[in-house]
Amino acid sequence: MLPADAFDREGFLRRLDSWSPEVAEQIAAREQLTLTDAHWEIIALLREYYREFDSSPAMRPLVRYCALKLGSDKGRSIYLMTLFPGSPAKLGSKIAGLPKPANCL
Amino acid sequence: MQTTANNSALVIIRQPPYSGSLARAGIDTALAHAAFERPLEVLFMGDGVLQLLPDQAPESLGRKSLARLLASLPLYGIEQVYADAEAATRYRLDLARAPLAVVPLTASAMGDLLRAHDNLLGF
Amino acid sequence: MNYALLVMSSPASGACAGTAARFARALLDAGHHIQRVFFMDEGVNCASTLAVFPQDESAPLQAWVELAEQHRIELVLCVTSALRYGILDDGEARRHERPAASIHPSFTISGLGQLVDAVAGSDRLVTFGG
Repeated sequence: MLPADAFDREGFLRRLDSWSPEVAEQIAAREQLTLTDAHWEIIALLREYYREFDSSPAMRPLVRYCALKLGSDKGRSIYLMTLFPGSPAKLGSKIAGLPKPANCL
Repeated sequence: MQTTANNSALVIIRQPPYSGSLARAGIDTALAHAAFERPLEVLFMGDGVLQLLPDQAPESLGRKSLARLLASLPLYGIEQVYADAEAATRYRLDLARAPLAVVPLTASAMGDLLRAHDNLLGF
Repeated sequence: MNYALLVMSSPASGACAGTAARFARALLDAGHHIQRVFFMDEGVNCASTLAVFPQDESAPLQAWVELAEQHRIELVLCVTSALRYGILDDGEARRHERPAASIHPSFTISGLGQLVDAVAGSDRLVTFGG
């Protein structure tokens, strides 16, 4: 468990290298989410996206990337919305330990 | 006055990738248009074609890779990307190895492209 | 016609930002409408309430403030650029734990969506700087 000051006031990790699967659980718990295998599949995908494109995705590219990698059943915004309610790209990136988005995309 | 039916914007990128903040500003503007599902095309012009260099290693500068960010443009639905063919030749750039698929344009074709857009965003 | 302006130069370097303000004034004098002026990259420095220019030079901030106050022109800053150049309103200063705000109240900070919207909603976008 990381101490409270490891997160900024919006709940993003201050230091990205402190991320681990346990930290992901901790961030998710703060967001009232329990992570299932379906969540972990998307978290892994988000981290892969970051490695490939050196950026956190907006919603539209995340949906396309899911379709590309996981098939069209999962490459739909409704699927991501059920896993990460509200704003899936932002919430998913936060749990996956990606950088806080600099802009409002 | 000629008006394009879809009011598509053209983002013109003339800055090399790591010399200033405008290069990134241009890409961010393109991504913002796409994220809000507004039609848009991108043109790399003049020194801007240097953004299309393969094998960039900006990590040694402590900078993020704009080339890898560019590779995500198709995922944002940005499919129409053009490059200044003369500038690419001047820099001996192999556009086939660019981080994303681009259509090379001659100077006169670039002129046609500019004329076809009402909204030009130059960076 | 309905115009939108994009300003990407600082008033501290060159005449470009000043030209943008004069162009805006000329548009209004000619009876055109300005949908929004969007400031990005170094252009966000136009909104600094802290910058000091020599008394015998034209005051770059004043030109924008008059456009906003007399003609209700919307002056909007890209948040990413504003943070980078230290142009903060009270909210951003608090959010990022900085000691003071530095933006003139005639300007607002928002996202790139405001530029996208201005491009979509205007007949012409004219870019200054870059």
